[in-house]
Amino acid sequence: MEIREKFSVMAPIKEVWNFINDPLKIADCIPGCERVEKIDERTYESLVKAGVGPIKVHFKLTTILTQIDEPRRIKMETRGADLGFAGSVTQSTEVNLKEVSENETEISYSSNITVVGRIALFGERIMRAKAKELGEQFVKNIKERLERKEVSS
Amino acid sequence: MEVQRKAVQKKLLKIRVNGKDYEVMVKPNRTLLDFLRQDLGLTGTKQACMDNSCGACTVIVDKMAVKSCNILALQVYGREVTTIEGLASPDGKLTDLQEAFLDFNAFQCGFCAPGKVMSATAMLEEMEDPTEEDVRRDMEGNLCRCTGYKQYIDAIMYVVKKRKELKQQKAKEV
Amino acid sequence: MIDFDYIRATTLEEACSLISQYQDTGKILAGGQSLVTMLRQRLIRPEALIDIYGIKELDYLEFNGKDGLRMGALTKHRTLEKSPLIKEKYPVLSELEKSVASVQTRNWGTIGGNICCADPIADPIPALIALGAELKIVSMRGERTVPLENFFLDFFTTVLEPDEILSEIRVPPPAPNSAVEYMKFSTIEAGIKIVSVSVLVAVEPKSDVCRDVKIVMSAVAPIPLFARKASEFLKGKKFTDSLLKEAAEIAAGETNPTSDLHASAEYRKELVKVLVKRATRKAFEKAKAA
Repeated sequence: MEIREKFSVMAPIKEVWNFINDPLKIADCIPGCERVEKIDERTYESLVKAGVGPIKVHFKLTTILTQIDEPRRIKMETRGADLGFAGSVTQSTEVNLKEVSENETEISYSSNITVVGRIALFGERIMRAKAKELGEQFVKNIKERLERKEVSS
Repeated sequence: MEVQRKAVQKKLLKIRVNGKDYEVMVKPNRTLLDFLRQDLGLTGTKQACMDNSCGACTVIVDKMAVKSCNILALQVYGREVTTIEGLASPDGKLTDLQEAFLDFNAFQCGFCAPGKVMSATAMLEEMEDPTEEDVRRDMEGNLCRCTGYKQYIDAIMYVVKKRKELKQQKAKEV
Repeated sequence: MIDFDYIRATTLEEACSLISQYQDTGKILAGGQSLVTMLRQRLIRPEALIDIYGIKELDYLEFNGKDGLRMGALTKHRTLEKSPLIKEKYPVLSELEKSVASVQTRNWGTIGGNICCADPIADPIPALIALGAELKIVSMRGERTVPLENFFLDFFTTVLEPDEILSEIRVPPPAPNSAVEYMKFSTIEAGIKIVSVSVLVAVEPKSDVCRDVKIVMSAVAPIPLFARKASEFLKGKKFTDSLLKEAAEIAAGETNPTSDLHASAEYRKELVKVLVKRATRKAFEKAKAA
């Protein structure tokens, strides 16, 4: 599954960079993210809950930041599995920042997600619909947090 | 996180299989298929797709064809189940459907066969005079990877014809 | 499969009492044709199953001219498929039940279970919505009625509270000069459907004016979708081909499909247009002849 989003945030590029490099702040934006733990400089572990109706998955994920080009680009690889053995996931993500003006930054990210296992077989059509929804919520959350911070500072 | 579950108790299952009554303690998550194959040793009923789509596991419960992989054993408490082992008479004589399947070369690898025979048996008990379209539609729940289905359909239609002839003959005799 | 406890309820009251104890750690088991599949695939993890399949008071099929159809939630698909009553009064249900899953599933699975599972591509649901079906839901706290079109919230998610049980499905008596048509499209005859559409048309036979129109689409959103704008557009107007074409475009515009393994979103939108046109025309013709 490929998810691509491009959107603008009213915040300076440095601030956006700091935000997306702070795993706690990013975790807060991911719907269903319960916990983030730093393992080392480039490795994080997280727990993400997702589901629809009675079907619930609880993914334990490990993310490794593979390329950090301050303040414009960050690449990461994520791997994980559902604690209830419903499936496993691998994800490659690239986030690019572009300075539009002093106070506006364009964020574009593209993510390639592969889910295997029972959840993927049974829930393929549901997963795609949900992935779209989660992506939209994620973008909304980032914008809100960054722009709210802008206002309060 | 995984909920720590307390140990689940087995429950009593009273069931009649191929004319014989059983009283067995089973776990709630035991499917009818596993019960038949593993607890009763009746391995004629097959497990194939593990996906509730192929029908190889079809058995007859109270005259209805059902997929035994998709029913819990406890759900058929007090009911009567017939498996492929229960069709032929005790002296080994096959039913007319079983004979027809053999005569029409309806089996290749044979894995879907028990399911097909059970579905066809139940169908012909329910419908005396199905058209070929009826037969094709009602056998949709039994997939076969080898034959292309034609031989199965021909065998069933042959049995339909023969049974009708026999009935007419008996009516004349009366 | 994970381990779970199993309790058989013999009356509706007993079932309500049990589910109110277990709430959402328990699951109601009817035929189990969706539930057992999900259990085997380890997609759901209840602590207990409450088996209601043996509750006789939930298995009935009644019709009278005033109240219409009342069917118990445990009515099997096979019963609907073979019932002469359903064939006479609601032929669309008779027809579509022939193609629900397979005979084996229809022999054991129930209409109530099908509705509560809330898979958005379930066959009977769009037709029942077009027919104006209503649900009776019970619990220890009392009972309530919900129109079927308001029952669904998301994939596999309904308005049922954790302690509630669906007990009855009611369908109003067929209106004079009306018909409901159901059409679905799949790439393989007995395969998973790409899109399905159900349309009710009630017509003034002399003037060809559509007294009532209800277009319902499934597999184009997380829930069965009532095409409100398209239905309102046709309602009250004289049936013509160009109006029908416009209504179909409006209906497609109301959908929000996702591309997946079986079809792209664009293809689904296109299919909706075609099926809405065909189903509405068929329903109109049948309504006139009724």
